Parts: sequence; structure tokens; C-alpha cells
Amino acid sequence: MRTLNLGDFEYIVFAVRWTLLLSFYATLAGGLIGIAIALLRTSSNRASRYLAIGYIRLFQGTPLLLQLFLVFFGADMLGIPLGAEFSAILGFGLNAGAFLGEIWRGSIQAVPAGQVEAARALGLHYGPRMIRVVLPQALRIAIPPTVGFLVNMVKSTSLAAIIGFVELTRAGQQINNATFRPFVIFGLVAAIYFVLCWPLTLASRRLETRLAAAYKR
Amino acid sequence: MKLIRFLAGALLLLGIAARQPASAQTIDEIVSRGTINIGVLVDLPPYGILNDKQEPDGYDIDVAKLIGSYLGVKVNLVQLTSPNRIPFLLTNKVDLIVATFGITPERAKSVMFSIPYSAIENVVFAPKGKTITKLEDLKGLRVGVPRGTVQDVLLSKSLGSAVKISRFDDDPSTYQALLAGQVDAIAETGLTGDLFYAQHPEGDIERKFILLQQPNGITMRKDQWSLHQWCDTFVYFTKNDGELDALYQKWFKKPLPNLPTF
Repeated sequence: MRTLNLGDFEYIVFAVRWTLLLSFYATLAGGLIGIAIALLRTSSNRASRYLAIGYIRLFQGTPLLLQLFLVFFGADMLGIPLGAEFSAILGFGLNAGAFLGEIWRGSIQAVPAGQVEAARALGLHYGPRMIRVVLPQALRIAIPPTVGFLVNMVKSTSLAAIIGFVELTRAGQQINNATFRPFVIFGLVAAIYFVLCWPLTLASRRLETRLAAAYKR
Repeated sequence: MKLIRFLAGALLLLGIAARQPASAQTIDEIVSRGTINIGVLVDLPPYGILNDKQEPDGYDIDVAKLIGSYLGVKVNLVQLTSPNRIPFLLTNKVDLIVATFGITPERAKSVMFSIPYSAIENVVFAPKGKTITKLEDLKGLRVGVPRGTVQDVLLSKSLGSAVKISRFDDDPSTYQALLAGQVDAIAETGLTGDLFYAQHPEGDIERKFILLQQPNGITMRKDQWSLHQWCDTFVYFTKNDGELDALYQKWFKKPLPNLPTF
């Protein structure tokens, strides 16, 4: 058993870049999939609605841990080996897509029906109607739950350890397993997560107030 | 872990149905490739840890490097965790596992083991005030074990519902749980426990009895016959010429225990 050294702290602090990278790309992928799912889910076409519902059910109804496991090891079984990094991004992106899609579906449907009807009356087609009328209003509603989900996702990136992805939590575990100083190490890890997540929450509040200002009279 | 094992099985079937992966790996392939991917643990001092330079180190890692030097290939160490060892092996992400993997008939259904190259002593630890000298004394107590390990299976099988088993994700949590009084006793790796509780004399914790001696084998896929033969030869040879013993002395300050063979 060895003692904690400065290098250990560096190792843990630098492992945060993997947490950040994974969170960033997963948000990007999840956002793109989420928009598609939200639009399909609210479309008037029955087939695309059911497709979106099926996707959401699949990813909300199975544990994220097993989704990662299936992407990583399953791809290999099919003869397309993906690296741990790419599998983690893909797994988190697919999962986030389902949750964000459902959040945004709710936000789109929360925009008063009168708005859609008015836009129709003005002769706006689906594209401009969504982009110019519905989505800007839905955005305001979507911010708090979206940020809530993203904060949660940043923290759940630690699940990627199952496929050999060493991020913040796993790095902390590795050092703890060598030095047995859980309170110092996991205290530090928790503090780093806080530093990551708190600004997200702050930014969300600011954005909310700014967007809300537009609706004040 | 049952779920993960089930999934690994399901994936395996999927793989067989989808596309048969490359034919069984031979020792010649590894030698001509010039590298070998060896899965190790870094969670279990002194078998595998991250050293003060945050690199994998320990008895298992030294054995892995010795394998590389005898094969004349570069060793690529892949850090595994206890639950993902078999999936990494079965999906060809590693060629071999040198990770304190206890030899059991259950595991031998899905992987193949070399003759033992190390052994782990499974010991019951508890506070000094408690009288525990044999397995039956654990009845009615809360006993901590790392999930899915040999001691987990042994306790569940022999004592069944007479003992309340708390399963933890890894070894440090198990040691810590006893120190914090969350469990009455734990079944854990003897040497690591000795080190840990020597560091924490306030817990007043001591060894109670040896649960079992678990021999560990180098692990490979069931079709890697030529590699299996080579590993057996490697263990036999390095045991006889004292190299394994020297590594054991380096990490455990004790001679290599008498390892049964098969």
C-alpha cells in the first residue's frame, strides 16, 4: 500500500477531460437525435410517431449501463470493433437522444395550440411554422428540464467505466484502490463534479431569465 | 453480475449467429504480430495497482511482462475491472487475462485456465472482540464480500440464508465497510487486508480464520489451445527456475506458496 502523492491528484484532476469530452460529444449526438425524435414524435404521420415512441421506449426502458455494454461488446460480435471512447459517445448519445426527444416533445406540445393555428392561418408551412413560431417558444419551456438532464448525464458518465473508459470517477477509484484514502479522494472527485455542474445550472437560470424577459410586458 | 454474465452469453450467441469471428488464435499469430494484449486489474494491491507514477504495476503486471519477454513480443496492458474481464476476453479485445482469476469449474465453462501461477488467501476479518473461529460462527452475522467473487459464492452456498451477505462493488469498499461498522465481518484477500488494517489500528480488526486458498490461472478463450499449452509451459518453467518466486517475494515479502497443478 502506498501513500497519496501529487501525481495522484494530477491524475484525478486530468481525468476530468475524459468526463468533459464524453459529456460534450454525448450532448451533441443526443441533441441531434433528440431533435429528430421530438419532431417525429409530434408529427402528424402515424408511422413516424410510432417509430419515435418505439425508440424512446427502448432506451428509457433499459438501463444505460447495459446499453453501453451492448454497444461496446455487441459491435465486436457483429465484427465492427468500436473503441471504448466511440462506444461510450454512441451509447450516451443514443440514450440522451431518447430522453431529450421526450423532453422536447413535451415542450413543443406545451406551446399553446392557438399559436400553431395562427401560424397556419398566416399560410406558414411546416418548416417555417416550426422554426419561426413553435420552436422559439418551446425553447424557453425546455431549458430547465434539459439542463437538469444534462447535469445528470455529466454525473452518469462514470458508468462508462464498465467498458474500460477511465474518466473522473474511475480514476478516483483506481487511486483509492492503491492508497485506501476514500475520504480525500472521493471528496476531491465530488468537488470536481460540483465545479462542472454548478455553472451549468447557473447558465440555465440566466438563459431562462433572459428568454422570459421577452414575454414580460 | 449475473445479469452481465447473462448478457455476455446472449452476445456470444448473437456473435455466432451473425458472423463467425476469425479462426482460433494461435501462438504463431501473436508472435508474428509482435504484440500481445494482456488484461490486468489495477484494483487489488499488491496483485495489481496503479503505482506512484499512475502506471499499472503489481505481481500480475510483472507476470504479464514476463510473458511478453518470453514470447519476445511487446506487451500491451489493458486495464480491466473484475466484472468485465470475461466479456473483454470473449470479444477478442484481449488475448490473455492475468488478473487474479480464481480457477473454478463454473468459469471453466466459458474460459480456459492455465495451471496456477499465484494464489490468494481468502481470510475472514472481524473486530478483535468477536469470537469467530470457523464458518459456522458467521451464522446470523452481516458479512461483507466483493460481489461475485469466490468467497461470495462459497458463503452463499455453504451458509445460505443463515448469513446476511452484503455485496460490495470492489475490495476497498469491502474493507472500508468493516472499518465503518456497516458489517460484522468480511471475507477478503488476506494480504491486502493485513496491510489495510495495519494502517487503521483504530478499527481493532484482526484475521479470524482462513476461508480458502484460491489458486489463480492465466485465462484465455476456450479455443486458444496453442496459447494454453504455451502458458502452462511458461508457468511450469518460471516456477522451477525461481522467477515467479522472485516476483512473489518482491510484492508479498513471502515465498511463492505451494501451488497445486492440474
